[in-house]
Amino acid sequence: MRAYIFRRLAQSVLVVWAVTTIMFFMFRVMPADPTAILLERGLTDEARQALLEQWGLTGSLWDQYIAYLGNILTGDFGSSFLYRKPVWEVLTPLIINTLWIAVPGLLLGAALGAAIGTAVGWAKRGGKLERSGIFLATIIRGVPNFVIGIALLTIFSSTLGWFPSFGMGDPGETTGFARYMTLDFLHHLALPLIAVIIYFMPENLLLMRSGVVENRTEDYIELVRAKGVPQRRVAWHAARNSMLPLITWLFPALAETIAGIVVIEIVFSWPGVGRELVLAVTRQDYPLAQAAFFLLAVMIVIANLAADLIYGKLDPRVVYK
Amino acid sequence: MKQASPHTPAAIRGRSAWSAAWDSWRQVMQDSFAVVGVSILLLFVIIALTAPYLAPFDPFKAMMTETGRLARLRPPSGEHLLGTTAFGNDVLSQFLHGFRVALLVGLVAAIAVGFISTLFGVLSGYFGGWVDDVLMRITDVALSIPTLPFSIVAVALLGPSIENIILVITVLFWRNGARIIRSAVLTERERVYVKWARAAGASHFHIIMRHILPNIIRVVFLWVTMSVAFAVLTEASLSFLGLGDPTVISWGQMLNTAFSSGNLRTAWWWVVPPSLALVMLVSALYLIGRAYEEQTNPRLRKR
Repeated sequence: MRAYIFRRLAQSVLVVWAVTTIMFFMFRVMPADPTAILLERGLTDEARQALLEQWGLTGSLWDQYIAYLGNILTGDFGSSFLYRKPVWEVLTPLIINTLWIAVPGLLLGAALGAAIGTAVGWAKRGGKLERSGIFLATIIRGVPNFVIGIALLTIFSSTLGWFPSFGMGDPGETTGFARYMTLDFLHHLALPLIAVIIYFMPENLLLMRSGVVENRTEDYIELVRAKGVPQRRVAWHAARNSMLPLITWLFPALAETIAGIVVIEIVFSWPGVGRELVLAVTRQDYPLAQAAFFLLAVMIVIANLAADLIYGKLDPRVVYK
Repeated sequence: MKQASPHTPAAIRGRSAWSAAWDSWRQVMQDSFAVVGVSILLLFVIIALTAPYLAPFDPFKAMMTETGRLARLRPPSGEHLLGTTAFGNDVLSQFLHGFRVALLVGLVAAIAVGFISTLFGVLSGYFGGWVDDVLMRITDVALSIPTLPFSIVAVALLGPSIENIILVITVLFWRNGARIIRSAVLTERERVYVKWARAAGASHFHIIMRHILPNIIRVVFLWVTMSVAFAVLTEASLSFLGLGDPTVISWGQMLNTAFSSGNLRTAWWWVVPPSLALVMLVSALYLIGRAYEEQTNPRLRKR
């Protein structure tokens, strides 16, 4: 077990190294000169040279790569071209904003999907509930997340006027955690959160349904039924055993959520990491884009690691080697 | 290599991947949801092929009124069946051209991803060894790359064009397919009939083409269907984020223009057609994919 954790950790470090290397080549080799954008703003040659040095863009590619790895190891991603301050100062508050819609959205989507998926999986094979459940879930799964966002915006914000369409609300006098506990904030949170829930529910639903269908014909279910346990409780037995794949799915999904809600953040102008990545890319603010991308990649590595370790704890059949 | 003559026993001769593909297709068409999906897909392909003839106007041309002013945000009328955009373009013409982009991206992604995934999946699953090790390390890394952020950065750096978007989609989605196909090959490889065929002197190539491939072809189809859906979604998302190819019209771009010009609420005729078409196309693909999924997982079949 300990050897397994050690190996998995080493593997994760390797993956992070590989991702940073890919990133190095993506950002250094592809654009001819990352400072070109700054030059247009009328920089002198000396100032340009100073900038190149500041961002580690001088010397051979190999020297640059070594300097770059050193910077990442010390957590130094440089300064944003646009904001003129260290990228972490820009990104740190945004991480929390993203998590605010990602984590509750994913958990609620998973819970709702699991509940409906159990009902659909337990329903009569080929019956009305099963067929309409599968059909609707597949259709909703096919709705692109920006279409969900646009639909929600048009119906609940523009037409009915129930929810604001833009941003996170005015923080006013409150600071720190208190700002997230205001009605205004929750009011702004509602629509993006619903969009994330709708986006993640169908996949959970179908996964749970498959699990329940696979489990319902197992012998242990027959046994539970033979004991005279009511139907509802029998379904719960099958549901509990179908949750394992859902949990393995949940962690990588959290990472993919953080990545996938980029679009939802854009639609609702929610100031998160994903939206900042898109803005940084379109403004050619490479240090910021690079750090935002790195952040998202590391989140996925950590989530995958956590899923593997937790899965083994939950399922005694898994043997670590 | 021993040539498979008609006198070779069936167990060694195997069957061709084509006949296996046809069997699997017939089985999928038993599923009524898949039939709905295939019908929608067929309709979309016909529209895409005939779009230049169906479109009443040049999708990029700005329409003028009789008084010589830009025909902005005209609601649907006899002249413009789906109205006009904020820039005076005919929505119907743009919408029809959108079919071509969506299906082109889907088709190329299907061929590229299907071919690469199958090649790598079969090689690494069948031969194992260092090929397998290298491939699995590569996919380990590839699976840790956040898909949409990667496409955003890559397309922005390479330049927004339809070729680059397709390239990025291919780079992203072969990895999952290769893994899935590899595990399917791993289970097939251990089957007794493969050992028998090998013992009877069949070559590796023969075994792969006539034993392994026919048995994993439904897994390949499942993955190809899903990658077409992902490809269409990725192109639409990138275009919606403003990273689409400016020289063509896609549904994601139409929505981006409607969204960024602030006309979501008023110009429903501009927003609804591309949204609906995207939902129909991706859902149709998922409906077909689901039928293959039921097929590849025997535990899901009715008992």
